[in-house]
Amino acid sequence: MATVSFRDVKKRFGSTAVIHGVSIDIDDGEFVVLVGPSGCGKSTLLRMLAGLEEISGGDILIDGRVVNDLESKDRDIAMVFQSYALYPHMTVRENMGFSLRLRRAENRTIDERVMQAARILNLDKLLERHPRELSGGQRQRVAMGRAIVRDPKVFLFDEPLSNLDAKLRVAMRAEIKQLHQRLQTTTVYVTHDQIEAMTMADRIVVMQDGIIEQIGTPLELFDSPRNLFVAQFIGSPAMNVFDGAVRDGAVEGLAASWPMPPGVGAPTGQQVQYGVRPTDLQLGSRGIAGTVVVVEPTGAETELLVDVGGQQLTVVTHGRVTAKPGQSIKLLPDPARVHVFDTRSGQRLQ
Amino acid sequence: MKRKAITREAQLLLIGIPVFLWTMIPIYHLFLFAISGRDSATSGRLWPKDPTLQNFSVVFQQHHFYLNHFWVQLGNSLVIALTVGALTLIIATTAAFAISRLKVRGGRLVMNLALFTYFIPAAFLAVPMYKTMGNYGLLNNQWALILAMVTIASPYCIWVLKQASDKLPWELDEAARIDGASPLQLFRLVYVPLMVPSLVAVGTYALLLAWNEYLYAFLLLSRDDSVTLSVALGNFLAADDSPWELLMATGFIYALPPAAIYYAFKRYMVGGLTAGAVKS
Amino acid sequence: MSAAILPLPAARRALSPWQFWGRVLIAPYLVIFAVFVLYPVLYGLWLARHPESYVRLIDDPIFFRTAINTIIFIVVAINLKMLVALALSGFFVQARWWIKVLSVLFILPWAVPSIPTILSVRFMLNPEWGVINTTIFRLTGLDGPNWLNDPALALSFSMLMHVWKSLPFWTLILVAGRLAIPLEQYEAASVDGATRWQKFRFITWPSMRSLYLTSTILSMIWTLGDFNSVYLLTGGGPADLTHVLATLGIRYLRLDQVDLAMASIVVALPLVLPLVYFMMKRLSK
Repeated sequence: MATVSFRDVKKRFGSTAVIHGVSIDIDDGEFVVLVGPSGCGKSTLLRMLAGLEEISGGDILIDGRVVNDLESKDRDIAMVFQSYALYPHMTVRENMGFSLRLRRAENRTIDERVMQAARILNLDKLLERHPRELSGGQRQRVAMGRAIVRDPKVFLFDEPLSNLDAKLRVAMRAEIKQLHQRLQTTTVYVTHDQIEAMTMADRIVVMQDGIIEQIGTPLELFDSPRNLFVAQFIGSPAMNVFDGAVRDGAVEGLAASWPMPPGVGAPTGQQVQYGVRPTDLQLGSRGIAGTVVVVEPTGAETELLVDVGGQQLTVVTHGRVTAKPGQSIKLLPDPARVHVFDTRSGQRLQ
Repeated sequence: MKRKAITREAQLLLIGIPVFLWTMIPIYHLFLFAISGRDSATSGRLWPKDPTLQNFSVVFQQHHFYLNHFWVQLGNSLVIALTVGALTLIIATTAAFAISRLKVRGGRLVMNLALFTYFIPAAFLAVPMYKTMGNYGLLNNQWALILAMVTIASPYCIWVLKQASDKLPWELDEAARIDGASPLQLFRLVYVPLMVPSLVAVGTYALLLAWNEYLYAFLLLSRDDSVTLSVALGNFLAADDSPWELLMATGFIYALPPAAIYYAFKRYMVGGLTAGAVKS
Repeated sequence: MSAAILPLPAARRALSPWQFWGRVLIAPYLVIFAVFVLYPVLYGLWLARHPESYVRLIDDPIFFRTAINTIIFIVVAINLKMLVALALSGFFVQARWWIKVLSVLFILPWAVPSIPTILSVRFMLNPEWGVINTTIFRLTGLDGPNWLNDPALALSFSMLMHVWKSLPFWTLILVAGRLAIPLEQYEAASVDGATRWQKFRFITWPSMRSLYLTSTILSMIWTLGDFNSVYLLTGGGPADLTHVLATLGIRYLRLDQVDLAMASIVVALPLVLPLVYFMMKRLSK
């Protein structure tokens, strides 16, 4: 158990700066997810925390102690790699016990800890197998088992579910989350998948191009995105966004008038981007006119593409609808849940 | 269709039979001499009138002037070959590990130096090596031959091992580092076990190179009891009335271990050694 | 946090254990290289420093003869060997059980040490009791030639010996090259109606061309160093007429003319070094 802090951390490869001063404070026992598109620096940040990359500027602290110059093995961390990185020539048992063996721990201790971790992860029947005899999901669990045996201060996960198929991914997500609830170890988890972030994190750090766009709980990011990037990155299907201009307390866009969120004011004429989530557009008899393009019933919900003023907006409603393609309908946005972003800065108006 | 198949087989045999004869004639001739008595060996028959193992018995009992030190010389060949194999393996493995996994500074330069040494024909280095060993006071010392052969064998071994090392996933090293492995623990517990097939190929290569060596052995060693078997065989040529059949019997004995080792380790050798060359 | 502490650039920090051991583990080879390659090479060059060695070298008719022999050896033996290797590589990829057995035997010349086999051939060539001449006598009643006493024949047999020994290795290399060509290309060509020669010309050769070239160059370099094939068969004779570069150095050494020995090697460097450079560019990464 331990706190983790990034203080104005910078990273350069040669003369190219890839991380431009990142600061994050992680509490003891927290599950923090670093999420962002490829190349945003999330893996680099994780590897700097792990000690696999040099830190070009700033400090990283674990449990209040600066670890910049500490070797990986002295940082008391454990890491689960995207490609599992299991030792092919060792059995599952030997893989999991390797770190203890390096420390010259007693055989009895090694056996106990390995058995304990194996039981938690349902690996007790597989202990004598070699990695090549295991499925992807089993290998991933062995990788986690190896980390658990270490009993470290911090768990690091580097896109661990990327190599698994969709169904397995969903199952493993829950397993990892349950593991965290049980062990309460501080966890830093990197992924490019925002659904993983939303479902697993206590707090999410959204990154782009080496800087932090926003830090917050999943719901905070969903309800109050600080800028356009976060608004469009978080949430699936993505938020509808279109150009508009402020006019007399409302936003004119797509040949219609859209409500401003309560308490938000902007001068007439300001160029803005209007954002409204698919779930916040109500189908009904009142509101903004549009034409149905496609209807996609997914069973419990229905997803519709509606043409409004030349742009296709996504609408998601619970249950079934009677609308058909070509039909005219009306959309009512929920004013309390819409977002207006300044076109130039991308920041949300508040 | 059947006729086409027959002509095809005939064409292949037309190549296969000459290839077989070409390959086996010198070797068969060697064998022939080894199992013939003095007179029948030179009679030109395809199979000796009275095949005999007498020659081998003479060799093993060292019953001839040229064979006085047979067992010692055989032992020398063996010891030198094993030492060269072991030393080369150690030097090449550590160097390949340092270059490929530890990414030591200047690793690429060392790799190129090694490659350069590999391409230069060993015969070119023979005369300077002879003079140098003289300067170091190592002439007639078996270590001169051992170290010379290690020098000649190492470059190729380092190159093969480095190519093989580069195929190991980088995350294994990272995982081991995080698990707490020191560089030596990584080497001993992760790297070496995963490299075993390549190590066998490389060690065998160095061993055979040393066993088969003539020029350097003949330059660097001269005392009858310190030379290798290859030099001893060459010494037979000194006189005109040497017992040729004994020479061939000794030669046959000398040729057996490499053939046996090669066939035993064929799997490792072919893969390991040609993989390097087909890179272009 | 004290912002006054500037981070040290990596080079000035103490060596991490990883950097330390990297240097330690590569040191043994570097020591071997320095002591047994660098020093001998420099010493050899120093021994060859007198210009008058080269004058004496060029004046020596044996040197001239050796140069010719070497060139013939290289041009004839290597091309012969590589062409045969190319042809045989096509043979050995055929799937027949007896071809597989043959390929196992075919490696023997290369796997087995050269002294016994070269001496075996030497005895086959003995003019009085060698197998070849006794067979000729039995068939025709004539005396066969004194094979190793004729410089041209002796050199030819040295070349054949060299080819015998090294052919398996290069055939193996080219076989590996052939196996790397996807079978589908040949199947597609069959469907298109290509003859065997066309398949070779349009599929096999383009894929193998680069490997063949590299192998030829490397083979040239190594053939320059083939001491055994000449020395053990002819001893450089008769009358020093079949020496090649590899054996010439030793000849001078035995005559205690070390400077000439070194000079003969230095003279060959303008030929060898470009070939080596070519190989390095191809293979170093």
